[in-house]
Amino acid sequence: MKKLFALLLAAVMVLGLVACGPAGNDQTEPPKNNDNQTQAPGQGTEPPQTNAPEGKKYEGVTLNYWSMWSAGEPQATVIEQAAAAFEAETGAHINIEWKGRDINTLLSASLEAGDAIDIFEDDYNRIGNVYKDYTADLTDMAAAADYASHSYPIFAAQSIAWAGYLNSIVEQPQIGGIFYNRDAFEQASITDLPTTWAEFLDVCQKLKDAGIAPLAQDSAYCNFTFYNQLVRHLGEDGIAALRDNGHWAENEGAVAAAQELIDLVNAGYLVDGAPDEYPASQNKIGTGEAAMVVCANYVTAEVDSVMGDTNWGLINYPAVEGGADPNSVYIGANGLAIASYSENKQAAFDFCMYLVTGEWDQKMADTAKQIPADPSNTCSYLPTAVDTLKNADATFGWCTGLNTHAAWGTMKTLFVELFEGKYATGADFCAAIDDLY
Amino acid sequence: MRKNKAMIACFIAPTVVTLVLMYLYPVARTVLMSFFHVTNLTASTSTWTFNGLENYFKILHTADFITSMKNMLLIWLVGGVITLALSMMMAVILTSGIRGKKFFRAAIYLPNIISAVALATMWVQYIFNYDYGLLNTMLEMVGLESVRWLGTDLKFWSMMAAFIFGSVGYYMLIYISGIEGIPQDLFEAATLDGAGKVRQFFSITMPLLKGILKTSITFWSINATTFFLWTKMFSPVNTEGSTIVPVVYLYDTVFGGKGVVNLDAGAGAAVGVVLAIIIVIVYALTNLLIKDGDLEY
Repeated sequence: MKKLFALLLAAVMVLGLVACGPAGNDQTEPPKNNDNQTQAPGQGTEPPQTNAPEGKKYEGVTLNYWSMWSAGEPQATVIEQAAAAFEAETGAHINIEWKGRDINTLLSASLEAGDAIDIFEDDYNRIGNVYKDYTADLTDMAAAADYASHSYPIFAAQSIAWAGYLNSIVEQPQIGGIFYNRDAFEQASITDLPTTWAEFLDVCQKLKDAGIAPLAQDSAYCNFTFYNQLVRHLGEDGIAALRDNGHWAENEGAVAAAQELIDLVNAGYLVDGAPDEYPASQNKIGTGEAAMVVCANYVTAEVDSVMGDTNWGLINYPAVEGGADPNSVYIGANGLAIASYSENKQAAFDFCMYLVTGEWDQKMADTAKQIPADPSNTCSYLPTAVDTLKNADATFGWCTGLNTHAAWGTMKTLFVELFEGKYATGADFCAAIDDLY
Repeated sequence: MRKNKAMIACFIAPTVVTLVLMYLYPVARTVLMSFFHVTNLTASTSTWTFNGLENYFKILHTADFITSMKNMLLIWLVGGVITLALSMMMAVILTSGIRGKKFFRAAIYLPNIISAVALATMWVQYIFNYDYGLLNTMLEMVGLESVRWLGTDLKFWSMMAAFIFGSVGYYMLIYISGIEGIPQDLFEAATLDGAGKVRQFFSITMPLLKGILKTSITFWSINATTFFLWTKMFSPVNTEGSTIVPVVYLYDTVFGGKGVVNLDAGAGAAVGVVLAIIIVIVYALTNLLIKDGDLEY
């Protein structure tokens, strides 16, 4: 009796452990992408893999969507509404899981394990490089849907350059530059936007004379200002060589870039307290204390969410005399990708298109204050952004690639120190960077 | 009672299996991974490439890892001395029969029941803020200039101060429980013999709390080596050299950050192994240096 009782207890414990383990997965090892399971053009109405009743196009289909947003965020609200509208139109139910910004810590393992994911969302750079073995080739479906007419060519080209095929649909495009308060410029009687460093310094002086601090600068974004200055002198390729080989102090462009920023600081063009702790300094644009900030367009939404609406404008970072790269611009994006093993790729693709074009894209752009993914939509808070992105041919990536340096964290502290006025000359600063090699 | 081996085996089997699967396997895999070139944490072992101690050499020659180790050492040593000393001092004061003991005990422990995220936000946005922070407001009131508490010079120490504030209550409670376990007769006898409070502390309280002190040092060592959230809160957008610690370096190495697509799970595993070795060394040293007494509470 005792033995039986013991066995029974042990069995219950084992059963409990099994029940608490990971959910069963009816999918076998996920096929990698090179089996090219996408539909040919014209087969845009792939039948759902269920015993669907006659009726709506995707009746009975459930799509699992892993989102990089958290419930309650403006983007999440729009996605939820779009999913409900898509279900009403097509019958496909979108099961959304809000994974938040740390989705990158989950995706690799989950895709490799073949977890039930049809659509996922992340930085399109990571989708193009890290997850490419588990993403569907969207080329044919995109051609059938005329995606080219509903997107910026630069992003699709970049996705193909990274993954070898189109593996993401851009959802939230980003653009870098100098974001300024139009009202502050008007108050300082500035009518012409600066295109050169000398003109930019003139603008700073006019703002200062009008009692407005020219530049807000949080420590978290010091690297933005520095690498924008550096890329104007050296170009992205020049920076890559510098990053890999060092010898910053021997590089005239690097020394000049640092010196120009030191002069900017010494001229008193930073707002009081800068470099401050994010987001204290950038919020001073909302209060009217400061006029400009060097960042990407999401800074506008960040400031507005705290301070209320600001009358934003965008200036491309000014060219420097004799610089190698007078007009390139940072671009980036969050993208949507479809798992290569998804059984409902066409339905997933249709939902992606539903979200990034037309009405829902406009709603996303308005609600979350971002640049529309569909260039035929408008960016109400930053009107020039769409045209800038449409015509962008010279671009550079996140941090001009400096962030791939093994000592990036320490390097960023040096950038903050540069704005704190710790270096007397550009050569001193560059020598400090060289010490990291 | 006769031992029923089958019954014992049945009861311990699930625990043993669970431990092996969920603890031993990941540990063994991590140690193994640290000797291989592995890009993705979950990559199949067939894709691993053996590269000996290369991952260890790599991290030891990376400025970020060295900075993170220095920061961790400072947290462990300076933060540890201050936290444990403050905790002990407060525990002694609160067990000395002062009035309002329950209130002070609750007040000092309070930060531990508040989410660390909320606590760190409060420090960053309301206490250290340059324009309207509590500290600068106080400095301005006495006619002094504002200080950039979160500038590169002070950010680490500001973070440490906030972390200590949140940690003191926890260790204080541990010490209070230890002190309250010491029979009052000993203190009364010492008082009759003419020993003052300080003498009583060093001759009675401290020797009898050796075991608890050892435990608290081990706990603190684990806290210092697994330090993560406070760094993330004090460097909210990207990792910064002034606040980086090894676990954050590990996290960035394994999972990458924005725009970082060159992941290195092998190097991340090497960081994990180094941290584990450090904890074992600290534990061994603590045992070696603080000998167990005959009598402890």
